[in-house]
Formats: sequence, C-alpha cells, structure tokens
Amino acid sequence: MAVEDEKNRNVHILRTGVLSPLKRWGVKWSLWPCHFVTSCCGVELAHAFASGFDGERLGTLNMGISRQANFIIVEGTITRKMARALRVVWEQMPDPKFVEVIGACGERGGIFWNSYNLTRPSDIVPVDFFVPGCPVTPEALLRGVRAVQHKIEGRDRTTIKFKKTKLPSEPGKTCKVPTSPKVLAPTPLVKVDVGRDVDWSSGTELVKDLESRLAGLYRRITITDVNRIAIKTTPEHLVELAQKLRTEFGFDHVKSVNVIDVPHERKFIVEYMVSGYKKELMPVILNVFAELAREAKPEIASLASLWMSADYSEREMHDFFGVRFAGNAGMNYKFILAPEVNTPLRKDFKLEDESYVLEDNVPYAPEIKPPLPAELELPLPEGLIEDAESKEEFVVLVGPHHTGSGHLRWILRIKGDVIMEVIPDPGYVHRTMEKLAENRLYIQNIPLFERANISDPISMQLGYVRTIEKALGIEVPERARYIRTMMTELSRIGAFFYDSGIFSLFLGHSTGFMYVWAIREMILEAMVRATGSRCTPTFIIPGGVRRDIPKEVIDMVDNFTSAIHKRLKKFEDIFIYNPVFIARTKGVGVLSRADAIRCGIVGPFLRASGVEYDIRKVEPYDAYADLDWEVTTGDAGDCLGRYMGRYEEIKESLKIVKQTVDALRRIPRGEVISEELLGDYREASEDIKGHMFDVYGNLVLPKGEWTTVTESGRGTLLYSIVSDGDSNVPYRVRIVTPCWMNLRGIVEASKGERVADFWAIYGSFGYFPPEADR
Amino acid sequence: MMQEMISGMINTLMGTIMSNQIHVPVLEPLIKLLAQLPVGGFMVSLLFWKAFFAALICPGFATVGILLLFFPWIERKLCGRIQWRVGPNEIVWWLGGIIQLLADTIRFMFQEVIVHRDAHRPYYLQFPFLTFIPTLLPLLFIPAGSIVAIRTPYAIQIILALVCLFPLFILGLGWASNSRFAFIGTVREAFMYFAYEIAFIVAILAMIILYGTSDLVAINNTGTWGILLNPVAAFVFFVGAAMATSRLPFEIAEADQELAAGPHVEYSGIGFGLIYVLCYEKAYVLAGLMTVLFLGGGSGPALPGLGELSGLIWFLVKTLIVMTTLFVLRVIYPRYRLDQALSIGWSSLLSLALVAVVISLGVFMIGGGAI
Repeated sequence: MAVEDEKNRNVHILRTGVLSPLKRWGVKWSLWPCHFVTSCCGVELAHAFASGFDGERLGTLNMGISRQANFIIVEGTITRKMARALRVVWEQMPDPKFVEVIGACGERGGIFWNSYNLTRPSDIVPVDFFVPGCPVTPEALLRGVRAVQHKIEGRDRTTIKFKKTKLPSEPGKTCKVPTSPKVLAPTPLVKVDVGRDVDWSSGTELVKDLESRLAGLYRRITITDVNRIAIKTTPEHLVELAQKLRTEFGFDHVKSVNVIDVPHERKFIVEYMVSGYKKELMPVILNVFAELAREAKPEIASLASLWMSADYSEREMHDFFGVRFAGNAGMNYKFILAPEVNTPLRKDFKLEDESYVLEDNVPYAPEIKPPLPAELELPLPEGLIEDAESKEEFVVLVGPHHTGSGHLRWILRIKGDVIMEVIPDPGYVHRTMEKLAENRLYIQNIPLFERANISDPISMQLGYVRTIEKALGIEVPERARYIRTMMTELSRIGAFFYDSGIFSLFLGHSTGFMYVWAIREMILEAMVRATGSRCTPTFIIPGGVRRDIPKEVIDMVDNFTSAIHKRLKKFEDIFIYNPVFIARTKGVGVLSRADAIRCGIVGPFLRASGVEYDIRKVEPYDAYADLDWEVTTGDAGDCLGRYMGRYEEIKESLKIVKQTVDALRRIPRGEVISEELLGDYREASEDIKGHMFDVYGNLVLPKGEWTTVTESGRGTLLYSIVSDGDSNVPYRVRIVTPCWMNLRGIVEASKGERVADFWAIYGSFGYFPPEADR
Repeated sequence: MMQEMISGMINTLMGTIMSNQIHVPVLEPLIKLLAQLPVGGFMVSLLFWKAFFAALICPGFATVGILLLFFPWIERKLCGRIQWRVGPNEIVWWLGGIIQLLADTIRFMFQEVIVHRDAHRPYYLQFPFLTFIPTLLPLLFIPAGSIVAIRTPYAIQIILALVCLFPLFILGLGWASNSRFAFIGTVREAFMYFAYEIAFIVAILAMIILYGTSDLVAINNTGTWGILLNPVAAFVFFVGAAMATSRLPFEIAEADQELAAGPHVEYSGIGFGLIYVLCYEKAYVLAGLMTVLFLGGGSGPALPGLGELSGLIWFLVKTLIVMTTLFVLRVIYPRYRLDQALSIGWSSLLSLALVAVVISLGVFMIGGGAI
C-alpha cells in the first residue's frame, strides 16, 4: 500500500495550474463529507451536523455517496473489515479528496490499542488531519474541518512534536520499573456452577421439578444464585435436554450462548443461558452447559433449530473459538470476523501486554501487520449469488458505506419490490471487547464496556458494575442508588432520541432528526455537568458512583425534564403525527408475540409485541422498586407500535427522572460509595478522586460465573463474568447486547415486506451496530 | 438591387424588433441616450426585444443561472431555520453565506469526473447535458408578464410534451450508469412517471377548459387567479409537480437513505453538479407554469415606472414562492413508499383531477363560456 506516496497528493493538485486560487477557494468551502460512519464517534459526528453545532455552516454538506463527496471523516476505530470498506470508499471518491480522522482509536488505537481486529487509518488512506478525543466533541470535529480548510488554503499547520526530556533522578537512588498490576493464576480453576445456599424457595422447587423430569439427561443441577440455576449435561444429551426444557418447562428463548476455553484442562465449556417469558420464569436464567473436548475440530450440536435466538450467537462463538455447531446454517463462513482472523478468543491467542516504560527505538503501540489483503472484497456467503439468480432474485448489497446502512452490510435478496430475505453481515465495528476484557483489571473494563454503546453509556456501565456488585455482595448507598437511576434514565432517553433521529432520517425526514438531536444535546449537557463527559463518563463504579452530584446539577436536570416535555410537543407535531410517517410505519414489519419470542428480540421491541417483560420490574435493581412508574406494552408489533412503545416509555422515564430529582433533594449529600468496599479509604465516600486504584486495583471476584441482566435503553443487556477466584482480571466476560439480539428481529420482520420498508423496520428497531458488534 | 434587398431585410428585422419592445418608462431617457450611439441603438433595442429578452434574460437563460446559484442557498437557509439551525453562513459571513453555491459549483468544475468501467461511456457522459433540453426549452413558451419568447396557441401542449420528457432522460442516466442502485432508482423513476402523469395532464386540461385557450399569453392577460376558480386542479398540479421534480414526500426514485441517490449514484464532478441543479430547473419550469395557470401570471398592482417589467417581477415573485413551497416540503414530510405513491397517483390524484374537470365545466357553464 503506497499510502506514503499518496500523502498530500490532493493538496498538490490544488496548488498547480493557473486557476489554482479559484480551485482552492471552491474546494475549501465545499468539503462534502461522505456518509461513511465507521465507528462509535459517528454519534458525535451526527451531533456536529445536527442543530446543536450545525456543521453545514462551514459549507460542509453530508452527502450519501462517495462519488459525490470529497471528504471522509473517519470516525474512530477502523476494524479489519471496515479497513477494506474505507479503502474502497476512498478509491471511489473523485480527486481532490481529503481525510480527517477523529477519535483516539484512529491514531494509536485508543482504548482498543491491543485489539486483534484493529487497524490504523493512516496505513490505509492518506490522512490530512487527526483530531484526538474519545469520543471527540463536535467542536473539536468542526475545528478539524477548519484545519483541513486551512491546509487546502495553504496555511501550513505543522503538527505538534513531542519534546523528549530526561527525568531527573536522584543520585544513588535506582529507579524501579513499574510492573503490571495484573495477577494471573497460572492454572485457573474454572467452574461455572459453584453452588450457593440462597433463600429462594421457588427455586428449590423448580430444581426438584427439573431433576425429576430431566432424569438421565443431566449430570448435575446446582443453584448458583437467586434466580440462577446451572445444569451440567453432556454434548450428546444437550439437544434432548433443550427440547424438554423448551416444550415441557416453557423456556422459550436463549439469552446468551457462551464458550469458555480452558486449555490446561483441554476442554471447552459451551453454555446456553436459557429463560422463559412465562410470568414465573421471567427472572430465572438457566445455564445449560456441556463440556467439550478441546480437539482440533470441536463440534457440538446446534440448538438454533430449537431456539432461533441462539442462531447468531452460535455463529459468533464459531468465529471466536472455532467450535462448530453442527446444524447451524452459518458455519461455512465467518460471520463477524474478517477472513484472516482465526479463533481469537482462545486462550492461546495472546494479545500484546502494556509496557510501562517507553524505550528508545521501540514503537509505543504494537506494530500492526499490513492490514489490507490484495483482495478488498469481503466474501459473500457461498453460493448466494447463484442461488439468487436461479430464483430470479436480485441481490443488493447495502453498506457499510451507505446512508441507510449503519456500520454493517445488509445483503438484500429482492424479487420485484419485495424482500425475499435479508442477510446481515455484521462485525464492521467489532472492537473485540470480550477479548480485551480478559486482559484488563476489573475496574479497567468499565470504560471499555461503556464504549460498546456511547449513545447509552450509563446502562452499559451499570450492567457490568452490577455484575461485580452481585459477585461481591455489595449494597449500594441510597443516594448513589437514586443518582444511578437518574443517570440511567437520562441515558435511556438519550438512546431513544438517538434512535428516533436515525429512524426519521431513514424515512427521509431530516427535520425529525434535527429536532430530537437538539433535544439530545440537553441530555448530554446534563451528562457533562454531572460527570464531566458527554458520552463516556465512566461514572458508575462498584459500590456506587464516582462522585456526588451537586444541587445545581440536580436543579438543572429538573429544568431539562420540563424543557424536554415542551420540545417533544413540537417533535410530535412534525414527525410522530405526520400522516406520511404513520402511513409508512403502520402495519409494516409485524412481529406477532410468538414470532417476537422465537427470534429472541428484547426490550421495548419485545414489549411492543405484547410481552410484559421489563427487568426493572421483574428483577428490580437500584431505586426502581421505590418509584412509581409503569411498563409500556403494546400488541401491534409493527414499526409504529415499536416506536410509539418506546416513546411512551420515555415519558415514563421522564417521570422517573422527576421522582429521582425529588428524592435526591430529600436525601442529604454524603455517602455515594459503599463503605464496606472502601475499607481504609472512608474519606473517599463522597468522591473517589485519587483513590480509584487503591480501592479497586486489586478487585477479585469469588470463583464462579456471575450473570446479571439489566434493562438498557434498547433492551436486555446481559453480562456474564467467569472468575477463577485468584486473578484480578476476569477469566471470561460474555456480554450480550440488546442490539445483537434484535438483529434477528430485523431479519425476520423484513421478510416479505417491500424494499423501502426495510429502512422503516431497521429504523424502528433502534439498531446501533457498535453495540451489537461490541 | 442587392442593396435594396438588404436594406429591406434590415428594415423588416428592425420593424419586428422595434414593434415588440419592452416599455420601461424609468429607463426611457437612458435608452434614448444610448440610441444616439452608432451600434448602441441596435444593441439596446435588441436587448429589449421581447423574444430576445425572454429567451436569454428573463425568464430564460440568465435568470435560470442566477436562480441556480442562489436558490439552493435560500432553500438551505430556510430549511435550516425550520430545523433549528442556521445553514451555510461562514463563507462570506457578512453576506450570510450567500455565495455558497458558487463555491460548490467551482468545486464541481475542478473535481475529477469518474467514468466507471461498467458504465456505457457515451451515454453516461451525454445524458447530464442532454437533460437540459427538456428542462430549458419550456422556458421559451412561459410568459413572464407580457414578455414571452415564442407565442403560440399550443404553448401548454408543447410545455407538457417537454415536461413529460424529464423522466426519459433520468432513465437514460440510470441505464447508462449500470449500477444496482441506479437500476432500482431508474425503475422507480419510471413507475413514478406513471403515478403523476395522467392526473397532472388532466388537471391542466381542466384549466384549458376553464380558460378556453391553451395560449399562455392569453391566459396571462386575463389576469385571473385560477386557483380561486379551481383549487382542486391547483392542488393536483402542485402534487404532480412535487412528484415530477421528485420532492419529498415523493422523492422515491432518488431516496438517499434507500438507494443512495438512485439514478445518479455513480456521477461525480461536474456530471453530478449538472444533475444536482436539474431538479431546481424542473421546479422552476413547473412553478412558472403554475404561476401562469393558477396564480394570475404577471398580474398584480403595477409598479410605478417599470411598465412591462412590473408583470415580470410579479411573475418572478410568485414563481419563487411556489418553488420555495415545493422545496420546503422536504423538511415537513417523510418519504412515501413506491406503492403508496402509485396508489395516491392512480386513485386519489386521478379522481381529484377528474373532479377538477367537472368543476371547470361547472364554472364554464355558470360563467357562460370561457373566461
């Protein structure tokens, strides 16, 4: 790749010829970024071009198509799959063209610096300007655009050079090289069904029932926690057991499929987290697992035919571990990984470790091998084109560079104007969180996981932190509980506005987008005042929150709730009650209750199909049990139902925020971090500043597997942490995000609908690819 | 003999030019002054010859050019206002970014033109230019006040014939692009053509019945506001115009979020620049036609001293208002689906168009003949 030669070529084009001043002036004021959203910084890109900051002031107009744009804003992480797309898009664009890279990931990898799926944009395309930040603020982004304008104009902007200084060392004192704080057990004991004595009477009955009716199919049934049961079985009996669970007990969906690699015991543990939407089964999660010999080609029977919700997760596990799920249709191609990455989550696939001292001539970040193969095209599932042609169907590839695709590729098989099948090709923003989490301290993983979804960051943190708290048995102080609830609900509202804006954009309605993103700006402002960051606050920590919220901020949040109410009226008028919007969404993409459960969708989208399942009610956490609010359900199951269900839910959320504000005014300021966790650092109970590492650096979870579900903005968020009880890093973290589960819903709902309806369905599911790909 | 013939021809020409001059009282002294110069007189009278003026200055070529440079800016600013933002304003900030489109045009001019391997090269390069034929020619027949390039009793029919050619050229673009999105967009464009065409023509027919003529100058001279006599026809015409210029909620062929601009997905550089302004030209032609048919053309209170230019100004103002309305639709409505648009075209719009014909006949009967 001759990126070095291409560097500055475009600026040179503008400097030659008689008309060069005119050329430069025209290009300077007409930088049209193409609509290529590569990663999570895209959220801030959208903010930069929405009403709050209005990037169009600079003459930059977001254009959908690479051929008509002359500017790429690379938003953060470029994964191996996306690297190909980036190169293709760049090649498609007409000269002269410019590239601005925003976000820390685009420079040195940022928080994902040692990920196996990361590439550097500067290796792929010539970059004109870097904007640091994680994520960058819209102001910084627009300043980057300005900098590119200046570069075109000819005003030189030399980049900052870091000065090297020698640290003064006291004579006679030897400097000690810091060592890694990580403690890793050499032969960790991995056991996912550690029994516990808990007070759960209905559970004991359920276990008895299971034992009697599943006789002969299981090895051991253990209660691992309240509402958590582990069933050990063998690969041979797995299918039969699953069948019985499904038909006789009513466990109708899979929440997660997980594989744990235990190389020193030469085995894989394959887990299915199963649950049911019957009223009494709702909080229960069964962990059905089997041990599989760690051979060259491990194979186990697929349960996808029984539980469709397991399908995509099985494919994912096949990518990660190379475990074949016999019977799953997606086993002959890589689902979310690039073709050149093989079984990265096995324990023998090592990642680079942090170095604590920068030595001369040693690069700061790991070398990334030439990321691009000669073949830029990503393979389609085998035989797809031939099959489509034989059936007189037309295959359209949508994305990842497409105004209406998000960061993934959709393969649409259409016949006339009707969609026969939609095949997703995710993984373009797969930032390998599960692998990275295995290499970091528990506390370091909080900022990692919140980046899975920076449009709903608090829920992402909360889910992870709750898992740790559950394992350690920590009680959270009352004030912290209310602060958490308030922040989570604000985050949920933010997530809704995000999806709402994208939905209206998908339907061609840019005003709806602008309105809600302007409202969202208020949520982010509240976030900044409370936590100090727009999207990545890392605010919730085990035992509480990082610091107490002052009274002024609480007052401001109160004012914002009423302001949001007022502005939502305008949004209602222009978008929600718009006859065209209703015509486009009513009766489109209907998922009946049975279908919705079968394909495993979660959250408000499931509730829209008539399943009254909200974890905040089923298994209340934080302050939800003390507040007055209602679960919103509907039974239409169409796009309008899904959207309006969420809209009503947001109104409930505003109600909750209001109540938490009242409560926070009542509860005296003070303790926001659990004292039992702080130990010697009691004085930090109001603000952890300065003691973070002292308190949390050596957090070790008890042995076993810890699973929690949390209601995030888009639905059930499942974290499952496997700890060996000795290491201060998790042995395995499984995170199943709601969007990953909803992917199947989009596929099922689109079948038989018209082509244009695909975007209505896609938008109504609030699909946020970075969250799904993790 | 020869000299006589030549002088006779010149005299005839001058006679034609002089007999068809635009009278502007304010400019009268200036014209007289210029007429004393040897060639000046001819130049001035040529400039103020109605046919010449209409074709090349207003409502013709020069106006189109100026409109294309500034109308998108108006649209972007206005849409920005509605969307709680400001729109382009950094370029020449003290003029509010008014020359934004100039920068875009210059950029398009110097941008690389990519012809991809799969394209049908000759057609791919020709069509962006050919599209200007049906979009510019109708301007010869649309009167701005009393100023018109070609006056003919078949003006409406000719304009309609040309307007109906719009989609044909878009089909050409899409076909020559040979890309999947362009293909789907092209098919959608063809479908949309069927959706609006018949209702659109029937609505115009209703107005011809009402006026009893298809001579646009005669219609303009009546000075009646057709929209008051037949609002249904005006509505059908407006919706048809929105469909023909593919404005939201009927921007179905281009559908940025679905087809990434449909037929013109592959065009870059000046090729795309031409297509980008095409919809503004189409909107200008249809808005002009709507002004004459429904909004009384150049009628309005005479502006002192401007003589015949007064009608022209009224025409331009009304046309701009109609155009702005057409373009502001995009911030108000989401996009319909293709089948919904087709059903709107074939059921609601067509029946409304027939109602409009009935209304026209009614007015015709009650009024005792054409207006």
